[in-house]
Amino acid sequence: MKRLMRMSALLLAVGLVAAACAKPSSSSSSGSGSSASKASNFLACEVTDTGGIDDRSFNASAWKGLQDAQKATGMKIQYLQSNSQSDYVPNIQAFEQKHCGIIVTVGFLMGGVTEKQAKANPKQKFAIVDYSYKKPLPNVLSLLYKTDQDAFLGGYLAAAMSKTGKVGTFGGMNIPTVTIYMDGFAAGVRYYNQQNHAHVQVLGWDPDKKQGSFTNDFTNQAKGKSVTQSLMSQGADIIFPVAGSVGLGAAAAVQEHDRSGSGNPVYMEWVDTDGCISAPQYCNLFITSVTKGIATSVKQAAVKAANGTFKGGNYFGTLANGGVSLSPFHHFADKIPSSVKSALNRIKQGIIDGKISTDPTKYPAG
Amino acid sequence: MATTPVTARVWGMYGARSRNVAVTLVLAGLFTIGVFARGVPTGASTGFDLSAAPAVPIPSFAVPSALTALLCGIACVALGGLQALRRTERHAYGILALGLAIFGFAFLTWAGQSRSVNFIDILSTSLIETVPLSLGAFSGVLCERSGVINIAIEGQFLVAAFTSAVIASATQDPWLGLVAGAVSGALVGALLALLTITYAADQIIVGVVIDAFALGLTSFFDLSVLVPNQATLNSPPVFRPIAIPLLDKIPIVGPVLFDETIFVYLTAGVLIALQIGLFRTRWGLRVRAVGEHPRAADTVGINVTRIRYLNVIVGGAVAGIGGAAFTVGGTGQFTPNMTAGLGYIALAAMIFGRWQPLGALAAAFLFGFTDALQFALSVLNVPIPSDFLTMLPYLATIVAVAGLVGQVRPPAADGQPYARE
Repeated sequence: MKRLMRMSALLLAVGLVAAACAKPSSSSSSGSGSSASKASNFLACEVTDTGGIDDRSFNASAWKGLQDAQKATGMKIQYLQSNSQSDYVPNIQAFEQKHCGIIVTVGFLMGGVTEKQAKANPKQKFAIVDYSYKKPLPNVLSLLYKTDQDAFLGGYLAAAMSKTGKVGTFGGMNIPTVTIYMDGFAAGVRYYNQQNHAHVQVLGWDPDKKQGSFTNDFTNQAKGKSVTQSLMSQGADIIFPVAGSVGLGAAAAVQEHDRSGSGNPVYMEWVDTDGCISAPQYCNLFITSVTKGIATSVKQAAVKAANGTFKGGNYFGTLANGGVSLSPFHHFADKIPSSVKSALNRIKQGIIDGKISTDPTKYPAG
Repeated sequence: MATTPVTARVWGMYGARSRNVAVTLVLAGLFTIGVFARGVPTGASTGFDLSAAPAVPIPSFAVPSALTALLCGIACVALGGLQALRRTERHAYGILALGLAIFGFAFLTWAGQSRSVNFIDILSTSLIETVPLSLGAFSGVLCERSGVINIAIEGQFLVAAFTSAVIASATQDPWLGLVAGAVSGALVGALLALLTITYAADQIIVGVVIDAFALGLTSFFDLSVLVPNQATLNSPPVFRPIAIPLLDKIPIVGPVLFDETIFVYLTAGVLIALQIGLFRTRWGLRVRAVGEHPRAADTVGINVTRIRYLNVIVGGAVAGIGGAAFTVGGTGQFTPNMTAGLGYIALAAMIFGRWQPLGALAAAFLFGFTDALQFALSVLNVPIPSDFLTMLPYLATIVAVAGLVGQVRPPAADGQPYARE
């Protein structure tokens, strides 16, 4: 019995140490320069979604934004990882007690809890990625991105590059921040069909019925692999995953398919960040990436909170202000016809001017 | 007994199993006729593609959707009626499997109307999840047959996925990654054995603690070690499929089963070894004795502690191979929590499979198949809400466990520590 107690205590201790290591990883400030004197006491904090700080997607981008803010001003930064949705509230509360100058909550799923905490604690500044409130709160800045705009360009490009006349997409979850990409993508394909009298089909998302393929998971790569195999099996030769690190499973499936040498070569478009930087091993598969500038906007929010110019409300990233954009084409720079490239530039301007709608239901289906 | 009325014979004289099978099939058949056959426009046809690759010349075929669904429905009802009138329960599950296969075919005919469904792709997609699930379930069988509950499968998966990715990246050899996965799984198994057998701690609590520990540990090391060294430590080479000569030429089965990575063959190997080992060898008899009645086993001179240690450690190694399948067997790169709870589903598959290796495999395959089917259907854009489609694997499991498997009995001493007096 004594030995059991000792053993349990040991295991508990190891577990606690591991938990302590795993959770708050604070980066101490490197406060350089005199202008940083005030900012170096400022603490900017991030609560991640379940995808974790290294999802090569929006959590990582938000953290990159804070790191950039740290470099620029010398502020301190810290994050807490949510391993499940039940971690959201305790993580936010932990940061409130640490007197964070701003708490960045990442992701649509944290919308409700952020609102509740912000109302309970009106002096605490928040920035939330990907969630807007019907009634904006004075202490919450919503960072929103019109990703349907650059996804529209991605859809047009995919349709132009497809040899089979079928392109595929799938989402991590049927929630607005995911489906806005899929809507824009589908709209781009439909616009391509209309302009070029083509019949490229979108598999995995029906923008009229708002139904499609979802993994309901942002971590399980096996599901990304399965759904991608299903898409390829139905003939899709450009795959656009909108599912964080689940997309890595899609890339693995595409790579396997291309190596086996059977059928048409299949390529991909990456999402949120430039795939050639966040998943470089698959760069040769990525025609382009449909990105949103989370890092830039999070950095701006943190810097504004530090120098006292923070205001609640909505920020919209658009093609016009560079908040969303199509990444460079990398390996495909020479493979994309110049006519398609110039069409993309023309469409981009059209979207900025409001002459081209990114609403898929405005275009004929099929 | 000779005067048993006919109604009693139909409604249960030959057992609940017979009745359940009959009712299930008749309902499935009526549903097929009512929904699938009537739900397709006249003249629509459904294509079935049986080729693994466009290069292999196996003809695909097309069937008229409505007529096929109708015939399938009638066949289902007929099978159900047949089972109701049979005076025996023998082969009842065989009839059920046949009926459900017909039902599934009718369903696909309906779902794939005016399109083409590729069977082969659905089947080979099923294996992506079936392999780790069945290896995890085998691990559970090994442990629980000897009387130790293994909730730590999820943790063994994660730790093994992590180490195999790191070792395979560092050495650029997927085989060393596989070995590292098995070894690290065995180490987690050894920890479980130490705490539950030697220190007689509550097995369920220890298992859950190990899972949480593994999640925290691997996420932490991923961030602190792997992320800064992505290229050297987290870019493992993955196993390529190995085609078995001749066997891979068999239509349908060949490309699905005999042109796969080493993990599929390992799963088959472990399955055969376990099925024979547990039920045909002296070791298996001892294991089952220890799991059912350790005191009796001890009395006849079987070393209970040693058997349990061995099984839990070997079980850890088997789960470790399953964990390696996530990285070097599939997608390569390790990402935090990439096993996403499949370890717990493996545990469910073991229970559903009645603590039998073959049953566990069938359960794991059912889950993997319905998941693959779910994706195939969502891509076909069938008129079923995608939220409902996502439920399919879980729904199938619940129906199968609650409705068809009936009461299952774990090994009698499962979860109970044994202490000599």
